[in-house]
Amino acid sequence: MMAIGKFSARRMAALLHKEMLETWRDRRALWMAVCFSLLFPVMIAGSTTFFVKKHAEETTRLALLGAERAPLLERRLQSDTLQVDALEQGEPRALLAGDYDLVLQVGDDFASDYRNFRTPQLYLYVDSSATAAGRAERHLQERLGSLQQLVAGQRLVARGVAPQLLAPWKLQVRDVSTPSGRGAMLLAMVPGLLILTLFVASLATSVDTSAGERERLSLETLLLQPLPGWQVIAAKTLSVASMGWLGALLAITAMVALMPAMPLAELGIQQATTTAGVITMGLVLLPLALLVAVVQILLALRSQSFKDAQTQLSILQLAPVTLLMALDMSRVQLADPLWQLVPLVGQQQWLKALLVGDEVSLPLVLAGSAASLSLVVLAVLFGARALRRESLLGAL
Amino acid sequence: MLGTGRLWCVLLLVFGGVLTGPAKAQTVPAGERCYLDGWSSALHCYRVPVDAAGRGDASGSVPGGLAVMVAPAVSDSGRDPLYLLAGGPGQAASELAPLLNAFRKVNRERAIVMVDRRGAGRSGAFRCGFERQMPSDLQQFSRRLADCYLQRADFAESLSSRQTVEDLERVRRYLGHDRIALWGGSWGTRTALLYQQWHPQSLSALVLDAVAPIDSKVFLAAGAAEQALQELARDCADDPECARFGDWKGDLNRLLDGWSDAQARAFPDPLTGVPAAEPVPRWMLANAVRAALYEPAAAAQLPYAIHQASRGNYLPLSGLTGLFINTADSMAMGLTFSVACAEALNRISADEVARDSADTFLGTAFYDLFHSGCRAWPVTAKPYSEPEPRDHPVLLISGAADPITPPVYAERQLGYLSNRQHLIVAGGGHINSRRGCIPDLIARFLNRPAEPLDKTCVADIARPPFMVDAFGPALGVKTGTKAGKQEMARD
Repeated sequence: MMAIGKFSARRMAALLHKEMLETWRDRRALWMAVCFSLLFPVMIAGSTTFFVKKHAEETTRLALLGAERAPLLERRLQSDTLQVDALEQGEPRALLAGDYDLVLQVGDDFASDYRNFRTPQLYLYVDSSATAAGRAERHLQERLGSLQQLVAGQRLVARGVAPQLLAPWKLQVRDVSTPSGRGAMLLAMVPGLLILTLFVASLATSVDTSAGERERLSLETLLLQPLPGWQVIAAKTLSVASMGWLGALLAITAMVALMPAMPLAELGIQQATTTAGVITMGLVLLPLALLVAVVQILLALRSQSFKDAQTQLSILQLAPVTLLMALDMSRVQLADPLWQLVPLVGQQQWLKALLVGDEVSLPLVLAGSAASLSLVVLAVLFGARALRRESLLGAL
Repeated sequence: MLGTGRLWCVLLLVFGGVLTGPAKAQTVPAGERCYLDGWSSALHCYRVPVDAAGRGDASGSVPGGLAVMVAPAVSDSGRDPLYLLAGGPGQAASELAPLLNAFRKVNRERAIVMVDRRGAGRSGAFRCGFERQMPSDLQQFSRRLADCYLQRADFAESLSSRQTVEDLERVRRYLGHDRIALWGGSWGTRTALLYQQWHPQSLSALVLDAVAPIDSKVFLAAGAAEQALQELARDCADDPECARFGDWKGDLNRLLDGWSDAQARAFPDPLTGVPAAEPVPRWMLANAVRAALYEPAAAAQLPYAIHQASRGNYLPLSGLTGLFINTADSMAMGLTFSVACAEALNRISADEVARDSADTFLGTAFYDLFHSGCRAWPVTAKPYSEPEPRDHPVLLISGAADPITPPVYAERQLGYLSNRQHLIVAGGGHINSRRGCIPDLIARFLNRPAEPLDKTCVADIARPPFMVDAFGPALGVKTGTKAGKQEMARD
């Protein structure tokens, strides 16, 4: 028994060597994996930076018509976010079509009505179909609100009333979020994308090693070797998973490397991913990489052709992302320990926590990973049985 | 296969290690999650034991320890934390939490630490029970103060700037901070300057807003208040609408000089609208005007209010006093007098009082309160030694119309600081750190303390608009409107 075991281990090593060589020799597949892995971290970092920069530089342009009737209004509205241009003449619609976000018109009798407590009107022209309309109106309301408060406060004081009488209470807000937790919103899509990377990076390899080998007729030769079927599937799984895992590791590294360049602090978000967290992220993805690889191989083996395999796997790669999104939106309590035993969901939850520097429970991670690994074993055994069917080779 | 198996084992070890790793790396105690009014994010709160400190007896102890509140840096990049020192003396650093809104930029990379000094805020506030309702009679005030002193005479004696500085140093070590930057406001600048004298090696930079230099006699406030009022009068005269009030400054002097008991009793209460339960004597009225000068927004209403009062309408002046009702009780009276009497009032001679109060609207109205209070509060004098030269980067901020710590203090009495910059806010009152571009300048100064700041943006900080009539500020140009004519007719 010992001799046979040793013998088969050497055969296995040779097989694994062959599979790895085939996987890593395929430069096109490798480049695909690398490119996709780097693509999304760069996109997330880029869009965040762009968003923050745009948000910070955003100023509203306001055309003030009739400013000569209320010069103080012009002065008090002007701010970093609100640029006020006093115009002598102008047609609101034309101004809004031009450079201006808002047009504020001071009525003819504004000054005298104001002095006589007659509540003069201010006319605000907006184009509510413009994208910036809401923000522009908010900017104006902020400034106008503080001026209004100043006037109302002075009017009360003039009548001997403490202005605080208008504020019967003060609402104190207590925000229970943590600075790293605030990052969870921004980084929420990252775990899903990391998992997607696993699928995409190993796609070409898994099709090639199964349906591809069948079409090249080298699978038949392989099956003629005195090797148990599970070894064949396991070797293929390992080599495919190595590609997927590499892609995911690359993506994590790129993501974390780009984080310091992202303006997170401006958003009040703490960059909390630790080195230990990054290593853990890589490790929790390993069982998933194996599972993805074996499922892809099995699907590709039972497909009709190389093309059919590609189509099926392309559809498959959308499944996890869609599933995770659906679960997120259905507000299922995914943090529940039982959910963490489910492959995909468990990994997503751990990645989410690790990204924002939260701790994950070691027993749960081990149990969840064990669940994923046992699924891998089951799938390998299932694949081994399938290999014994002759129809598999004639699928052409 | 065997190789792979071994690899797995190694991976699992790393795995276990990293999961438990971060928790052990923390050397600083974790602190409790807590909140302060005026700032919505959670803070870390600590209680730092200080009982063993000082003179060996328990007189100066604070049950539960010093209250320390930390707003952690959003993204900690190892920069020196900023400690906030409150004024008074008697104000608690925890009351400064609203400042965190202005210091967001600083807080991105630096922790901001607030330490309630002994006898203030959450560190066993030394209150006398009448902070909310000051007796209007000075003698009664002294009596109640004396009662308060007798109840805790040992505690009163133990409180001092020295103790506060040593406590700060203890907190610095407790939190594991290497060097710290200090922001001091008002009396907090005194504490900061003393910390700089006694622990120069623990300090990286100073930001001092409303500077009370070690040698300054801030309780001689009559001259400074007069100066601030004159600044206000000058700015008012430059404003065409405000200029119509004419010599309102003279009106104020005449009003105060002729203030009668009948007027004191008839002065309306800004909360209820009926005459106040306690009469408002002359010294209180003068102090109310002085208090309004602290805040430019309140000062902008003074010319109108005084103009009206001189014509028998006390409502605007009463409404103005209403602006300060909420701030009045933030001072712990016991702490205020313990420190002020031991470190400030005893340095002031009668001659100096006479010189300072001559030809001012305030006269001795402010000084008298503390002078009579200190007679009821017999703590021993705790003088400081001459300040020694220091070369830390120092950013000084003054309001040109500050009625208690005018810019001349920072200009004239800090010659021993070789590396200082001074921002003067035109028309600015007491404490300007939240206004205009000052928060940005503070953040820039803390990040690059050696570089001179570009001060041009300080000039953009303008006085709030003057109240010119019952309708408030003049929004529009006056074109001989009815309201204007009516006003003239009434004059």
